[in-house]
Amino acid sequence: MFREKLKYAFYTIGHPADGFYEIRHRGQGSVPLAILFVFLFGLCFSANRQYAGFVVNNVNPMEINSFAEMSAVFVLFFLFCVGNWSITCLMNGEGRLKDIVTVCGYSMLPMILTFVPAIVLSRFVVADEEAFYFILMGFGIAWFLLLVLSGVMTVHNYTLGKTLLTIIFTFIAMLIIVFVVMLLYTLLSQVVSFFVSIYNELMLRI
Amino acid sequence: MNKIRNRLFFGKTPGKSAEAGKAERVRATGEACGKAGGYAAGETCRTERGCAAEEACGKANSRAAGSLVRAAALLVGTAVLLWDGAAVTVQAGQNVPYETYNYDYYEDIKYTPAAYVPDGIVTGAQIGCGNLSGPQDLNTDEAGNVYIADTNNNRIVVTDREFNLIQVIQEFERDGKKETFSAPNGVYVSARGNLYIADTNNMRVVELDSGGNLVQVIENPKSDVLEEGYVFRPLKVAVDYADRVYVIAQNQFEGIMAFDEAGVFLGFTGTINVQITPWEIFWRRFSTKEQRARQQLFIPTEFTGMEIDEDGFVYATNVDGEGKQSVRRLNPSGEDVIQKKESGLSGDLDWRISGTYSGPSRIVDVVVRNQGIYSILDSVRGRIFTYDHEGNLLYIFGGLGSQEGTFTGPVAIDTVGEEILVLDATRNLVNRFRATRYGSLINQAVGLRYDGDEVQAVECWKEVLKLDSNFELAYVGIGKSYLAAGQNKEAMECFRTGNSKQYYSIAYKRYRNELLKENMGTILTSLIVLVILWMLWSRLGKKLWKKRRVSHV
Repeated sequence: MFREKLKYAFYTIGHPADGFYEIRHRGQGSVPLAILFVFLFGLCFSANRQYAGFVVNNVNPMEINSFAEMSAVFVLFFLFCVGNWSITCLMNGEGRLKDIVTVCGYSMLPMILTFVPAIVLSRFVVADEEAFYFILMGFGIAWFLLLVLSGVMTVHNYTLGKTLLTIIFTFIAMLIIVFVVMLLYTLLSQVVSFFVSIYNELMLRI
Repeated sequence: MNKIRNRLFFGKTPGKSAEAGKAERVRATGEACGKAGGYAAGETCRTERGCAAEEACGKANSRAAGSLVRAAALLVGTAVLLWDGAAVTVQAGQNVPYETYNYDYYEDIKYTPAAYVPDGIVTGAQIGCGNLSGPQDLNTDEAGNVYIADTNNNRIVVTDREFNLIQVIQEFERDGKKETFSAPNGVYVSARGNLYIADTNNMRVVELDSGGNLVQVIENPKSDVLEEGYVFRPLKVAVDYADRVYVIAQNQFEGIMAFDEAGVFLGFTGTINVQITPWEIFWRRFSTKEQRARQQLFIPTEFTGMEIDEDGFVYATNVDGEGKQSVRRLNPSGEDVIQKKESGLSGDLDWRISGTYSGPSRIVDVVVRNQGIYSILDSVRGRIFTYDHEGNLLYIFGGLGSQEGTFTGPVAIDTVGEEILVLDATRNLVNRFRATRYGSLINQAVGLRYDGDEVQAVECWKEVLKLDSNFELAYVGIGKSYLAAGQNKEAMECFRTGNSKQYYSIAYKRYRNELLKENMGTILTSLIVLVILWMLWSRLGKKLWKKRRVSHV
């Protein structure tokens, strides 16, 4: 079962239109597998910051925090999925949250596949060969973007124009979500501190 | 005040055991120093610290902001000193009222040992000519004599390198009449020993020979490029080996004015182009005429100070609001040929946006030192930034304040030998700084590298690293010697520590080639073996697999 799903993920990144259609309508996708891909991408992203060769790496090693970077990848991933889901619900999108998660997760597979060799390669390049590294990285990222675009288009049964529009709206929705979460957080912390102070007051009076 | 409080506090403790008392002391000093240290710890902008806090924790601790470890060590040191019942005295080299630091590759501040320490102040009274009043410029000649433009006293004070008075120039004879100066803002000694004085309010530059006799007066420049009724108010003056005179004039935004040896105006040099960002263009499009009139004008920045190097190139400082480039090296045709790194040449790399001591460094003067080293003086935070000829920062020191070694209104900088002199126009005195071992080792190493003597430089760099293991340039210097000796692996290690991608690449390329050459036989053999194995596998393996499959069926 897992083997087939995995094989299908590789088929999808080569044949996005067919692949994502099957995922949407014939249940060929797998959400756990998508989450695994996100996790692996987080790992690669962090590894790239830490282990990319000295020549191409401009990251201050003192500032690397793998846990923070991986959580950032996850947070952004879920924000995008939820944002896209809330927008496409309003814009006659056919995709379910499950499909969006699968699309975004599967789309990260090319980046995992290119980041790893790029990191290895970067350790063997000198200054005038660093272009190879950046081309490899850029290739993975471009592939990812195309996959997300075609995936969102396919699962929601949108035209290209509408897809681009929803993606722009998705970013706005993400900002709104962040805003609401922060608002909620501050309000809740005030409520909590209110009750804490009532408790303290009572305990000190009694 | 704090000092007294601390004393009182300590006064209570003698009953306790020595250990407990000591611990208490450490804590108390720590609190007092927390204020002083806390200021600078996270920020570039060093504020002028409260004198109370400064006194309480002793001068040593004022430098403690750098690293926690060092701070702790100093605190313990101070506590021990207090325990001995002596006044707060600290070892030589530590009584420095400012931090010395540098920026690393990631543009983070790294505190370093002091490169220069204060070496006394010189007032007019000490020179023996009466107090200075608002002096604006200071220059030294090759013999080390010091010339101070004592602006508000309308005179030029000349002393020897130990600040013994040689003469005071107040007047000169022109066409049989005595003439005086009026607010001379600039003074310069040419290679031939002639004295050039920017006599600002008299709107002229006066050239005197070493005997004080008038050679020429440059005034009232005439040219098509100068507007009608242009008022020539020279502020700073510099002269190259061919006796061409360069003048920075007030409200002259087109560049430095150049005159030939006969005082004929040649034109402008080093004009700084106005840079307008797309964002500013965008805003101007949408603003009304009234709004535009009230907006800031797009005029080139002013030059603030000048110096000529031994090749006759003009080093000129300017005000840069972006904090990118505040010093230029102008070739004879007026182009900027200075070498700079990505981080620019403008003093501090980050700064507070608002409040006291905020904004990019305002560089007011430059001094060209030996072997391509030059120092620039910042008036916003009173710091002196020293660069080498490639634009690497070597050390940063100095600060605002009213202690010896800090400034209130720094306006001019110059050197006598390795000593640095800074003129303070507000406190009317000259601050002297002498190089520490750390500072002079860096100077020496950079000088040796400039002269191409990399091997000898390595010895200096190694000494520098003993004092400051964060000094990246030293690692690069050592790495270069390894590279020259063909020890590529060691060189790679050094360049990596010194964060030099360029040289690391060179070393790595050589190392890679070396490895390939050495192991070519092994690599090729193993490749061939692999190919043969693969071919065998694909033939025999298939048969075996097929057989098995058949047998299964």
